[in-house]
Amino acid sequence: MLGIDDPQIWIAYVLCFLSAIACIIYGALKWNDGE
Amino acid sequence: MTLNTPLLGISVLIYMIVVFYLGWIGYKQTKNTDDYMLAGRKVNPFVLALSYGAAFISTSAIIGFGGYAGAFGMGVLWLVAMNIILGIFIAFIVFGSRTRRMGANLKAVTFPELIGKRYRSRFIQGFSGALITIFMPLYAGGVLIGGARFMEVALGIEYNTAVMLLAVIVAAYVITGGLIAVMYTDALQGALMFLGMGILFVLTYAKLGGVVKAHQALTDMAPLVPANLAAIGHTGWTSMPALGTPVWWTLVSTIILGVGIGVLAQPQLAVRFMTVKDTRTLKRAVLSGGPFIFMMAGVAYIVGALSNVYFMDTRGVIALDAAGGNIDKIMPEYIYSAMPDYFVIFFLLTLLAAAMSTLSSQFHTMGTAIGHDFYREFLMKGKLGNTITITRMGIATTIIISVALAYKLPPGIIARATAIFFGLCAAAFLPMYTGGIFWKRMNRQGATASLLVGTFASLFWLTFVNGKVASSLGISKAIFGVDTLLTGTWTFVDPILVATPLAFIVAIIVSLMTRPDPEEHVELCFKK
Repeated sequence: MLGIDDPQIWIAYVLCFLSAIACIIYGALKWNDGE
Repeated sequence: MTLNTPLLGISVLIYMIVVFYLGWIGYKQTKNTDDYMLAGRKVNPFVLALSYGAAFISTSAIIGFGGYAGAFGMGVLWLVAMNIILGIFIAFIVFGSRTRRMGANLKAVTFPELIGKRYRSRFIQGFSGALITIFMPLYAGGVLIGGARFMEVALGIEYNTAVMLLAVIVAAYVITGGLIAVMYTDALQGALMFLGMGILFVLTYAKLGGVVKAHQALTDMAPLVPANLAAIGHTGWTSMPALGTPVWWTLVSTIILGVGIGVLAQPQLAVRFMTVKDTRTLKRAVLSGGPFIFMMAGVAYIVGALSNVYFMDTRGVIALDAAGGNIDKIMPEYIYSAMPDYFVIFFLLTLLAAAMSTLSSQFHTMGTAIGHDFYREFLMKGKLGNTITITRMGIATTIIISVALAYKLPPGIIARATAIFFGLCAAAFLPMYTGGIFWKRMNRQGATASLLVGTFASLFWLTFVNGKVASSLGISKAIFGVDTLLTGTWTFVDPILVATPLAFIVAIIVSLMTRPDPEEHVELCFKK
């Protein structure tokens, strides 16, 4: 996948992207959450 | 190669003027101890995220670990995933909110003070402060070397002068402006780093024909792995090293776990959770913190690995050969060769920002550790003068130690010095920090035992078992006549895999076997 044969590497590659995107979504959803 | 152009000189000058302006604002806004030590406990979420990320990511991550990816491939991307999930998400949401609340309840102004007050122990505060004072200069010395080396290359300044110049510039705004100056300048430096690495990411993929084409070309290079590296487990730049080989153990235990877990117990990072006024700020900071780490570490490691394709296309050699066999020179060599001139200048500023933002946090943390935690609170039992004055003297002292180390440390030490400090922090601090904020039953005896066991087990493993460190120290050879007491796979295993679990077990057993801390004190610590 993505030109990378070893699943241990492309999973890490995709996980980096997804976790960064998850941080953006979490921060946006919680922007007015919980003074 | 010297890029001594007027444009670079003007860029550095403008950057320095802005840094000093922010340092001056920090000085003007510092009215009391909370301001100097914790930036007044009211930091903005974007400043927190950029400051946390910029303090965490130094030239060590970009040059040292980026070069490691150039030599050994993309397996190091697991560290990026760990850094985002554990180092940002879990750290801010789970550890951060409890740390902030307990720090405010106990009126703690440093990480060792938070732990010391949680367990009502000046010994824990003093010992932790001493540990930071003794070992953090090793990490700061490594970052100082990284910063000074490229000032030498880019500005044509002599190396020893560059070390001194860098230390004096950072010292000036840290000593005068305290943590407000540190975090404001961090935010500027973090923004520069984000932009620089973002451009590098796009330019690299564009140059190599797109994402899939670049990766496929790197995958197809697997047969070109040098025989000596293949023999110790290297299988290619888009595959993990062979399970259980020396390369695999170094990657998984020292780099992925050592740095990935060690980040949770970094005093200069944990203290930032106490600089915000509420939990909402921590949640907001996740929004920019996650992408920032991806853009720093993720891009450095992907580009480092892909530099092999560029060097093969243009020179017919792999990256390690293009850099003359020196891992630390892979990234600079790639940037100088592959990138347009205007970007090389901007990237040098990015690296200068990365070095300065990490150094400023280290100087502030070391100064508070020796001045406030060790000298004022432990040795003098809190009965001594003004915290800010003593901390300023502490910062000046530890800067001198770091500069001396930067002159003395051997070459190629940057990434290893960083990993050693991260691993030591994980073993010494993580059990009593985690237990302290999550487990009410954890008591002073358990914390003291885990601090001592974690520290000395880590140091013992480094001195007598870990192949690279033990053989270069020579202590084991002098006492026992052998480089390492154990042989085989054990010599590649990082101390974090041995000392940290041991310290956790000791913390739990000793806490359960001894009397709990007074209930009213524990209630104060955990008060909502």
